[in-house]
Amino acid sequence: MSEVLIEAVGLSTGYAPGEPALRGVTFAANAGQIVAVLGPNGGGKTTLMRALLGELPPFEGRVDVHGEIAYVPQTEQARLDFPVSALDVALMGAYRRTPWWKRLGRAEHDRALQALDRVGLRERAKDRFGTLSGGQRQRVLIARALVQDAPILLLDEPFSGVDRASEATILGLLGQLRAQGHALLICTHDIEQGRGFDRVLGVHGEQTFFGPGAALDAAALERTYGSEIVTLGEGAAIAVQCHHHDHEHDQHG
Amino acid sequence: MTELVTDPLLRRALLEVVILGLACGPLGVWVLHERRAFAAESLSHAMLPGLVVASLAGAPLLLGAVGGIVLAAVLVAVAARDARVGGDTAVAVVVTALFGLGVVLALRPDVPARLAEILFGDPLGATAGDIAVAALLCGAVLVALALGGRSLRLAAFDPQAAPSLGTKPGRVGIALLVVLAITIAAAAQGLGSLLLVALLLAPAAAAIRASDRLGTQLRLAAALGAGCAVVGLEVSRSLDVAAGPAIALAACVAYVVVALVRPGERGPGLRRAPIDGLTGSR
Amino acid sequence: MLEAFDLPFMQRALVAVLLLSVAGGLLGAWVVLRRLAFFSHAVGTATFPGLVVAAPWGIAAPLAALGSALLFTAGLTRLIRDPRLGPDGATGLLVVAALALGALLASDVYPAGTGVDQLLFGTLLGLDDADLWLAAAVAAGALVLTLALGRTWLATGFEPQTARTLGVSRARGDWALLAGLAVAVVAMLPAVGALLAATLLVVPAATVRLVARSVPQLLAGSVLLGATEGVVALWFAYELDLPPGPVLALLSGVIFGVVALGQAAAARRPVPVP
Ligand SMILES: Nc1ncnc2c1ncn2[C@@H]1O[C@H](COP(=O)(O)OP(=O)(O)OP(=O)(O)O)[C@@H](O)[C@H]1O
Ligand SMILES: [Mg+2]
Repeated sequence: MSEVLIEAVGLSTGYAPGEPALRGVTFAANAGQIVAVLGPNGGGKTTLMRALLGELPPFEGRVDVHGEIAYVPQTEQARLDFPVSALDVALMGAYRRTPWWKRLGRAEHDRALQALDRVGLRERAKDRFGTLSGGQRQRVLIARALVQDAPILLLDEPFSGVDRASEATILGLLGQLRAQGHALLICTHDIEQGRGFDRVLGVHGEQTFFGPGAALDAAALERTYGSEIVTLGEGAAIAVQCHHHDHEHDQHG
Repeated sequence: MTELVTDPLLRRALLEVVILGLACGPLGVWVLHERRAFAAESLSHAMLPGLVVASLAGAPLLLGAVGGIVLAAVLVAVAARDARVGGDTAVAVVVTALFGLGVVLALRPDVPARLAEILFGDPLGATAGDIAVAALLCGAVLVALALGGRSLRLAAFDPQAAPSLGTKPGRVGIALLVVLAITIAAAAQGLGSLLLVALLLAPAAAAIRASDRLGTQLRLAAALGAGCAVVGLEVSRSLDVAAGPAIALAACVAYVVVALVRPGERGPGLRRAPIDGLTGSR
Repeated sequence: MLEAFDLPFMQRALVAVLLLSVAGGLLGAWVVLRRLAFFSHAVGTATFPGLVVAAPWGIAAPLAALGSALLFTAGLTRLIRDPRLGPDGATGLLVVAALALGALLASDVYPAGTGVDQLLFGTLLGLDDADLWLAAAVAAGALVLTLALGRTWLATGFEPQTARTLGVSRARGDWALLAGLAVAVVAMLPAVGALLAATLLVVPAATVRLVARSVPQLLAGSVLLGATEGVVALWFAYELDLPPGPVLALLSGVIFGVVALGQAAAARRPVPVP
């Protein structure tokens, strides 16, 4: 049950050749593991996700992926005016396994409805995606990843804009996936939450930490977040940073 | 080279094109930042019904052209407010409908010939009156851009937050389209809309490529617009080719030169598909 | 009342309009969804230099137009890599260059060419067999492309970031859509000309877009509306002795306006509170 599903070795990557945005990343996520990715704004969490997806080329090192990846992006760039319902979006998760000459059958519809149910949006299935609230849209995208049923799940700040109750529901869901043997990578700004997962990966332009959450000490936190960190004793700490979400590619389309 | 100044025909053409280049450059920078290139390229066809009505009513053609095209600009801005339609679809719908209306109104099959004339007019036919119109227009456009600069900046950069900062992006959009429309109507008749579109888009594109600062872009575009006019006319004179296309091509070459000198930012190294870059328009 | 369609040239026009509205509706739905209206217009306009050199170089006009259109498409996909220029800026710049080149060739190198008229104004009433076969091929091609790539286009258009992880190939889908559009527009030129290609390709889909609740509805509705508008416009044009292209443009523009106004009025009506 502990085969490696996704790993990076000495990975360095970025947006322009010669200027890596992220260096020296070496980690592995096994089946049945959740890896938390911690780091300040601009630390390189999203960059790491893109490299794992193959959208950014590795400048050095390599990425090994054993299996299909499902991805829930951070800044949702979805076109809100598209005439697609929440159900249509969830059904996109079934595209890969449905050949183009086949319709998306009853079974896939049921699966998509069930996934929406699991994120608490069953009764909004017929509503147009663009008419949902920001947090609800985030949950539909998570439902789509569930429909996809890929062994590897990359979630980039999946709880941003999601209320506490739904966050708990989704965390429960992710726990079930973990128990079923999926490997999950979750970017988060919640250090305590990250510590609770199987492994923690810290990034700040380069890898600052990789190991079990219990080993995440003050020094590692300072390497990750700089000195803008407040230690609360007992090893607990919070990063004092504005957790605003910069909408990187806020295009109007 | 001196013939551009000594030959009265060439001198008038030079004056007219340089004046228009001065105004079109900075206007084009805003057109590109506001993603209105389609409107700039196509609005001239929407002049037709205005022209037909004016000629039927015996009114000055310029009046008809301005009326028709301003109507088109407003319709485009209104239709584009619906996010499902968007700016470029709105242009396509409005321009084709008005063009069709023009032909139907004229009830004559030979009207399109006049349109071809508008499309490929000739700067060498510039009269003193044309130059006066161009100068007036140039002054008005530059003043409008200077007055509206701050609003344009807000509306182009962050239309969602603009209202809270005191600018209504919808109105700015309409205002820019109307200024664009008036420029096209006043200038395209003599010059040909092809040349006008070239003066609007190419120097602005080169300036945007050359600098990351808005002020520099605006000034550079004006200088390039005027410069391309001179170079294009001179090329047309010495090689004895049509003046309009020569100036238009000179403006396009300016972009190529800038792009070669400043290869610059190659976009994020993310893997991109062809349409990724084509779908950004508002 | 419908004796107009007894005439052979009207029957040809009818067949052409029906075939082209299949291609126009299916591809037009994607044009509207993926904001490719400027591209569709530009790719038609950019056939100009090709049409100018077609006769002097001894190439068939549709082939020359297609070559021009595909060159334009390839050039554009390179030019848009400059993020500062913006997608429509790049399109505008390239179309200006193509037009200027065409105009220069037409006025100074091959002055005898009749490229301009052919480009600007086609006519539905003067189509030959080759035009009809091309229209039929394009209609069939659009159908196959939509069936094969509809999901790809939907996922990519909805959100490009994750499209690849859903198992659809963005690049392949996008190239196919652009090339398909180029071919479709070239097929429309003899019938309506570059200025009015949008009436077959964009306007019906844009109208249906205002009321469609799903993509299949949009596809079917665009084809149906386009075909209906085409037939009605042909009939009007015959009865009033007007060129059909402009009548079609006006008619479909008016229908768009009516639907848009109806929508706006419906949106303003207060929603009853239960
Ligand atoms: N599209 C891009 N082009 C160029 N540089 C980029 C791009 N996206 C991100 N960067 C740069 O890469 C670095 C890492 O950014 P990244 O988006 O990975 O941060 P992050 O850890 O996800 O931050 P956040 O918490 O804000 O989401 C930053 O310095 C950023 O400026
Ligand atoms: Mg991020």
